[in-house]
Amino acid sequence: MAQTSVEGRPDRYVGARLPRVEDARFLRGVGKFVDDIRLPGMLHAAFFRSPHAHARIVSIDVEQARALEGVVAVLTGADLADFPPFVAGLPRPEVKANERHVLPADRVRFVGEAVAVVAATSRYVAEDACALIDVEWEPLPVLTDPHASLAPGAPLLHEGSESNSFAHIEFEHGEVEKAFAEADRVFSKRFHHGRMHAAPLETRGIVAEHDPGSGGFTMWTSSQVPHLTRSLLAHMLGLTYENQFRVIAPDVGGGFGLKIHLFPEDAVVPYLARHTGRPVKWIEDRYESLAASTHAKEIVMDLELATTSDGKFLAFRGRYVGDAGAYAIYPWTPLVDSLVAAVLLPSLYDVPAVRFEVDAAYTNKCPTGAYRGVGWTSGQTAREVLIDEVARALELDPMELRLRNTIPSEPYVSATGCRYDGGSYAESQRKAMEVLGYDALRERQKSLREEGRYLGVGFSPFVEPGGWSGEMAKRMGFPFDYMDAARVTVEPDGTVTVTLGLHSHGQAHETTFAQVVADRLGVKVESVRILEGDTAVTAYGTGTWGSRSAVIGGGSIMRAADEVREKLVAIAAHAFEASPGDIEIYDGNATVKGSPDKSISVTMIAYTAYFGAFVGGTRPPGLDPALTATRSYEPPESYANGCIAAVVEVDVETGQVELQQVVVVDDCGIMLNPTVVEGQIAGATAQGIGGALYEDLAYDANGQFLAGNLLDYLYPTTMEIPAIEIHHIETPSTVTEGGIKGVGEGGTIAAPAAVVNAVADALSPFGVTIDRTPLSPDRVLSFIRAAEGR
Amino acid sequence: MLAGGQSLVPLMNLRLALPAVLVDVNGIRELDGVSVNGSVEIGAISRQLAVESSVGDAAPLVAEALRHVGHPAIRSRGTFGGTVAHGDPAAEIPAVLLALGGSVVARGPGGERVISADDLFVTHFTTALEPTEILTRVRIPRAGAGQRWGFAEVARRQGDFALAGVAATAEVDPDGVCRAARIVLFGVADRPLRAAAAEAALHGRKLGDPAALYDAGQLAAEGLEPRADIHASSRYRREVAAVLVRRALGQAAAR
Amino acid sequence: MIVDGAAAVRVTVNGEARQGLAEPRTLLVDFLRQELGLTGTHVGCEQGVCGACTVRVNGQLVRSCLMFAVQAERASIETVEGMARGAELHPIQQAFHEEHGLQCGFCTPGLLLTTAALLETDPDPSEAEIRLALSGNVCRCTGYVGVVAAVQAAARKLREGT
Repeated sequence: MAQTSVEGRPDRYVGARLPRVEDARFLRGVGKFVDDIRLPGMLHAAFFRSPHAHARIVSIDVEQARALEGVVAVLTGADLADFPPFVAGLPRPEVKANERHVLPADRVRFVGEAVAVVAATSRYVAEDACALIDVEWEPLPVLTDPHASLAPGAPLLHEGSESNSFAHIEFEHGEVEKAFAEADRVFSKRFHHGRMHAAPLETRGIVAEHDPGSGGFTMWTSSQVPHLTRSLLAHMLGLTYENQFRVIAPDVGGGFGLKIHLFPEDAVVPYLARHTGRPVKWIEDRYESLAASTHAKEIVMDLELATTSDGKFLAFRGRYVGDAGAYAIYPWTPLVDSLVAAVLLPSLYDVPAVRFEVDAAYTNKCPTGAYRGVGWTSGQTAREVLIDEVARALELDPMELRLRNTIPSEPYVSATGCRYDGGSYAESQRKAMEVLGYDALRERQKSLREEGRYLGVGFSPFVEPGGWSGEMAKRMGFPFDYMDAARVTVEPDGTVTVTLGLHSHGQAHETTFAQVVADRLGVKVESVRILEGDTAVTAYGTGTWGSRSAVIGGGSIMRAADEVREKLVAIAAHAFEASPGDIEIYDGNATVKGSPDKSISVTMIAYTAYFGAFVGGTRPPGLDPALTATRSYEPPESYANGCIAAVVEVDVETGQVELQQVVVVDDCGIMLNPTVVEGQIAGATAQGIGGALYEDLAYDANGQFLAGNLLDYLYPTTMEIPAIEIHHIETPSTVTEGGIKGVGEGGTIAAPAAVVNAVADALSPFGVTIDRTPLSPDRVLSFIRAAEGR
Repeated sequence: MLAGGQSLVPLMNLRLALPAVLVDVNGIRELDGVSVNGSVEIGAISRQLAVESSVGDAAPLVAEALRHVGHPAIRSRGTFGGTVAHGDPAAEIPAVLLALGGSVVARGPGGERVISADDLFVTHFTTALEPTEILTRVRIPRAGAGQRWGFAEVARRQGDFALAGVAATAEVDPDGVCRAARIVLFGVADRPLRAAAAEAALHGRKLGDPAALYDAGQLAAEGLEPRADIHASSRYRREVAAVLVRRALGQAAAR
Repeated sequence: MIVDGAAAVRVTVNGEARQGLAEPRTLLVDFLRQELGLTGTHVGCEQGVCGACTVRVNGQLVRSCLMFAVQAERASIETVEGMARGAELHPIQQAFHEEHGLQCGFCTPGLLLTTAALLETDPDPSEAEIRLALSGNVCRCTGYVGVVAAVQAAARKLREGT
């Protein structure tokens, strides 16, 4: 497309570092988050929660709570006995579906599980009332270890099941046993990845309103998946018609995967609104968020790697026992951790044979679900830490070992069937080494060791599945398709409105998608408005998660915009009696190629479509004048890739790890807006660092939850996260619309392994092996002691 | 009683503290202000941030320790007297008060009395203040030009409570020989704890002597039975206490 | 004066005299958000750790979740809503916009006020000083890269008077 340079704008918006449209409201403090919504007569809900990890509810007495002034309603499981449970399952034979009652009547299975709800005139009063609820409990045996939960004779956490595993899945490709039998060397490792929380700064929250006239609901919810919430909840709430249920996800203060699930409160709060006849607000407090939303990434992994004596990888074996918590999280199931970790076992290594076994074991802990990077984080950490150990054992440089086994840059199908769409698998590793000044760093390490100081460097090259569509889902073991549409409309004055069923909660869709559609239609980016998050207004979609929005939103916008553009072109061509092929649209004006005097604004074209004639032109006969198109896009599998490197110094007397440098080389194909991409990478990397060093949702052996506040669950601050240095390689996808790949999870997937490897490298003179995260100072000292036999 | 509220209000928000009556003392002007004369007198409700910026050379150890207390938005509200009276065994300021040989002025129905820091801290969140008394002032001997001091702690993050920490002061003669030392551990016992054996062992030895520092660390940690929590085991806190004693005294020697 | 358990609280917010009712136990953040409708100040942890509720009371940074509304009687309070001058963003806000210092926007108000307090006392802070000053404000989105760059840019803007 020929383009004329226009002062003050980039030639193409895609790829430009446009500042964010959405900033204006957040900077002024006028964003609208769920807790900012107030409705007349609104009540406030508070939940009474189990203090026990596993107990029978003998009786509940709510009379004193009901009698408190200001209390309007108190509901328990008995009141909701007829309410349908969440049923989490997958259409595959290994899976046994799991039921979760929104308020259990007879038995609780984890600390923090809701058993009653109060609606009152203020949150303060609702909490006062919760303190007056009296429950008689009969404690039951507690399971906190996933392996113990799978052991024969373990008490079953769910009636009617034969084991405590939600699913046992096995996979094999290639001649695995033969490879292990004939290998020169076999290495093995158990790694226990820590239990993490997505911990968005805005907790979950709901405002629900029931309309007795229509029988329908409006629900504002801090969710990444408003349409899915509607589709899954409407019928549970007894609605005959899904479209009577309007779900609005307004500004959302971070999600990171946590807000793609359905939780008991999502059903109970609208129920309570109908029950009381008044709007009801519930804002999750920090304890509730940490104790009773979703946890993530805790998997106990046993990996084996068969190699030749010079380090060529021959085969992987992996056993992944995920800690599912008390229930299978709805609707995604706990397999978002253990199964996807296993599928990505070969990663970017050229290895012909892979076998894995996967379980998701119930324990008396909070259910586990999706958090940025899902189980890929845990799997990556275990695999990459093992590879560093292999390098040490073979006395090879760890990067030399990796590069010997890295797949070529062309499209490649892994032993587990992942269809990589081409990337910079080796180049990104070399680039990370170059940026770091690897050889000089090794020299510095050597001289510091002579002073008794312990510097370490760790690498973590990764592939990052993105654009989660039906094909990707099936590859990862989830037999589903999705429907994600974009509706592009040119309004009468030529401005452009785009609606999507995706949702932006920090990802800057209002900016980046405007860039995509403005380029495609040839209009000014300022004239575009992106609308998401309201099921009554926008095209349908399954929401934003799985690094899917750039690929799927971008692709569906391109397809819809192309359809609308054809109509704009047809009207302009008709006006100028030119061939449609000769019409160019740029910066809001259509021109005829070679005739610069023939120019018409998109405003006038739109006016013609809506209202007929303008000066000198009319609608082309037979043209459907609706300047709108709705299209979906289900992309093939695509994978970003990159490499993260970390440099640490370890204080071997206190076990403190000082993270000195973090370098990220990222290749996510064509970038819509590099500034936004870098924000995603930096944020994801910081979360990965948190998982490696600080964040841990600890339980004691009795299932008591020990990390229910932010002095115990440790978000990293400005002092713990160093300046993160980001470099790009841009290898367009060979398979997606626009060459876009997903971005946003690689940092969380790969940073922990880089940090752990750096610590292990620093401590290699002690012979330390690391088998779990996070690396608290205490743990670091205990690894040193273990290596020294103390 | 409510002053800065930076410890009490979180407990109330979590419904772990449910006081029936709360008396706000923030309006009592006489309790506010720092004066530096023969000693450093700090009014009980003086904000930690204000103390940090006003004690200067008169109590450099106090200023250093305060930088480890929470964050600026906590210290701008949190009071100096509050953190002393709260008696948190993992808090920095009680340990520093003890290391500096300070005292507090308490006022009750019977009038005023002075309680030495050595007698003040009883056990977890418990001081020698009577239920009818309030802490009105904290008194710290003014640092001489040659005051040797050191401060070292290990916390999970900036501003977090210490897993273990040490505040130490020492007097040395012109040859660098230690004539007296006060070594106080925090985060490792039910109260800030003076390491008497270590203090005694240093007497007459050169403060810069690595062997002396090592011995002091080992003696200070001996017999400690710190509590364990999700952030650190008892063993960790004990081992690191020895390291931190060594480092704090090393700082003192180098000053 | 307390009526039906609620006291009238008079404050000056962003230069404007305001009053509303608060129970003795009403937190300042709830008073600002619910009684005065100033929802730019956010609740993140109710424990003083996350910094989302940071406001300035008589110029000092304060966790508004750790202060009772009645304690702010006759105080002068600054919230994020008071920073911009009409259509014109404050230079600190402008810097956060230009340097990608925010994503979801939930922590942003607290960070803006903390930055303002820092730059008033230290117009030219080093990166280390910036990081220390902001360490009580948690951001889960940015990894602090854009935030630190924004504070540096804001300091430049304020020094140069642009």
